Amino acid sequence: MGQLYLNNVQKFYGDFEVLKSIKLEVKDGEFVVFVGPSGCGKSTLLRMIAGLDSTSSGDIVIDGERVNDKPPVERGIAMVFQSYALYPHMTVFENIAFPLRVEGLPEATIREKVGAVAKILQLEKRLEQKPGLLSGGQRQRVAIGRAIVREPKIFLFDEPLSNLDAALRSDMRIELSKLHGDLKATMIYVTHDQVEAMTMADRIVVLNAGQIAQVGAPLELYHKPQNLFVAGFIGNPKMNFLPVRCEAAGPEGITVSYDGQTVTIPVEPRADIVGRMLTLGIRPEHTTLSGGDLNVTVTPSVIERLGINTVAYASLPTGEPYCALLSGSAPIAVNTPATTGIRIADCHLFDEQGEAFERRIDWRTAHTEEAGAAA
Amino acid sequence: MKEPQQLINRYKWYEIVGIYCGIFVFLSFVLSPFVEGFLVSLKPLSQLFSSPYRFIPENGSFAAYRTMWESVPGFGRYIFNSFFISSIVTAVVLAMVVPAAYAFARFEFKGRGTLLGAFLAVNMFSGAVLLIPLFRLMRSFGVLNTYFAMIVPGVAFLIPSAIWLLRTYIMRIPRELDEAAYVDGASHFYTLRRVILPIAMPGITVVAITTFIGSYAQQFIFALTFNAKSEYMPLPVGLYAYFGRQEVIWNELMAASFVGIAPAMIVIFFLQRYLVSGLTAGAVKQ
Repeated sequence: MGQLYLNNVQKFYGDFEVLKSIKLEVKDGEFVVFVGPSGCGKSTLLRMIAGLDSTSSGDIVIDGERVNDKPPVERGIAMVFQSYALYPHMTVFENIAFPLRVEGLPEATIREKVGAVAKILQLEKRLEQKPGLLSGGQRQRVAIGRAIVREPKIFLFDEPLSNLDAALRSDMRIELSKLHGDLKATMIYVTHDQVEAMTMADRIVVLNAGQIAQVGAPLELYHKPQNLFVAGFIGNPKMNFLPVRCEAAGPEGITVSYDGQTVTIPVEPRADIVGRMLTLGIRPEHTTLSGGDLNVTVTPSVIERLGINTVAYASLPTGEPYCALLSGSAPIAVNTPATTGIRIADCHLFDEQGEAFERRIDWRTAHTEEAGAAA
Repeated sequence: MKEPQQLINRYKWYEIVGIYCGIFVFLSFVLSPFVEGFLVSLKPLSQLFSSPYRFIPENGSFAAYRTMWESVPGFGRYIFNSFFISSIVTAVVLAMVVPAAYAFARFEFKGRGTLLGAFLAVNMFSGAVLLIPLFRLMRSFGVLNTYFAMIVPGVAFLIPSAIWLLRTYIMRIPRELDEAAYVDGASHFYTLRRVILPIAMPGITVVAITTFIGSYAQQFIFALTFNAKSEYMPLPVGLYAYFGRQEVIWNELMAASFVGIAPAMIVIFFLQRYLVSGLTAGAVKQ
């Protein structure tokens, strides 16, 4: 079992509040990713769960037991560090065996357990080498081996792939997902890379300035971001934001005007919003060159042609960036005005505080619907 | 095929001449006393005061290296004493400094900065200033004329610089290694013994060498003040035995000096094996 419950966990460094009342429940066997920009407190939160940093207030509960005052080993966690933290003077075998030696297990048991772990991680041929001779990916596997050999309840990963090159990173991503499937253990993973978060997580926790901005499944965050921060953070290239004026609100949605055009966006309205300035969000991949319910005319300043699609970067009259991701090789040119179309079904709408109006879609089926519409 | 030299190592011919001239000047300052000492040890005593003075010995021989043992029969004992005192001092200093340096490098505790500053301040006093108080202290403890009297002040004066040296070295060992060991359930002592000590070996070796040499050098003043028994005399004081009533047996004195430092040289060459760099390779991604 590896349940984790964070109850109003806070962290202060002096007077500075690093984490503001974090409340989160992680189920047994779940793969949860903490993601956020640097300095948002995600690593601090992980270190507090590990027991490396103290908690200013609140409870950390593992399997129904408050563990705030327990050392890491009694919490039943194992941690993989960003920098691997391998012992350079020990062989791979001794590195993996380290936690077992600390426990004082008999030699035969240690051999058996390390052997099993080495097999899972394909390190059998490397056991007698020292970390200095290994490649980055192998070192990371040794660090993971040292974590799984103890059979902990919860695995903690602190940006484990950020030191690897891009190709290796995607391989290790797949390996980690497989490992999670095999071990069925609870894993908490910190990263600033949203691709890692989207591909591996059962649920993503987006942190911003010490607060949870949103918790949800990867596609839920993509289709139904609760606020401007999550909307801008998840998705690459970043979501475009257009300033719009609220004209009316009714059961069909909220009617907004932009650049002399009026459209009704299917979102849940709130009281007292007519006449206010709202923010309309549209993902670059949801723009097209023809059709659409709302047109945005911009002059691209940079165009990237990737073959499979074309990315155009431009600025809105307000100075905000505007990006369009068009499929194939799109007939647009630098410094030539182009008109992009937006479907109202793809639009997000945010109020002045940056809170989203709930979209009327089911994120679980959103993609299949789109695929059906295209066919 | 010869590797082409890197641009940064490429010099013009006159630069090379300049570099070698500089090296030559400094080396001759440092080494000429040793060369002259060695030459003197080869000469018969009569030739030392001949005029005009000649540097190169005529019919030089190693006779002084033989006769020195006869004119000062206790000389072997003096070498042993020096070696013994320095070894004990080094061992005691290491035993105290390794945990201390680890604590200073890793733990936040009240008064850490003050303590480190105090250690530095102690180092600014030369041992000589404190000789009289130390003498009185030793006398009231009744430990004058023992090895103890020469070892304890030596340890006390060598600990501060050793702590500073080793602390800096341990601070360069990534903290993640401690944290990883802690997460895996290791205690601080276990971490120190199994993780930090092996990685800090080059640093500990440097501390051992400097302490050993330091102890060799400072024995003279402590031995001269706190010890009057000739059987406990270390080498530097023992060399005085070659100062006779009428004359100094210079050639034997020089020979004895070279023989006396030989054990220390051997120890240092032995310790040097542990001065391997790059021991932390692969620990963390840098």
